Amino acid sequence: MASEAPLTENSRKVHPARPLFIAFAAWIVPGLGHLLLRRWGRALIFFVAAGGLAVVGYGMRGEVFTPLSSDPFGALGFLADVCSGVFYFLPRFLEASGPDISRATGDYGTRFIAAAGIVNLLGVLDAYAIASRRRS
Amino acid sequence: MIVFALLVSIVLAGLARRTAAERIRYALWTLMMFLLIGVGIAWLMYPFSQ
Repeated sequence: MASEAPLTENSRKVHPARPLFIAFAAWIVPGLGHLLLRRWGRALIFFVAAGGLAVVGYGMRGEVFTPLSSDPFGALGFLADVCSGVFYFLPRFLEASGPDISRATGDYGTRFIAAAGIVNLLGVLDAYAIASRRRS
Repeated sequence: MIVFALLVSIVLAGLARRTAAERIRYALWTLMMFLLIGVGIAWLMYPFSQ
């Protein structure tokens, strides 16, 4: 007779809204989703990496794309930028003199800001997968 | 390039490995690869910039 499998944490039911809430939290503040899941190491990694990339990018006076961009690259840039959550709204405070992509550093800064969003998107997907028990 | 490579390496290590020791090793390895491949590609492109 086969013994019944012990009730593990993975076999517990997950409320369908919980992973979405965790993903939303991870998007708004990089690392917050992992913090809610008590993954302290990953929370710190995502906050420092996404925040560091965004702040350095703003320091280099990179361009932040707006949702009203007319060309497809601008729309993709906006999608990448907005994925950094709260850091998307920082240029109002950190880039008082606006972007300057006439210099190479400004162009590199644009890539840093986009990379911050992509890094945070990885964090959002990871937090969602952990919350829905698809990943440990 | 070093700052970019360092921060991205840390994220990749945090996602791909579980323990702190494994993460440090993986981050150092990916950082080294980022830098070597970046400088290598720059050298390969150098003749075309003239």
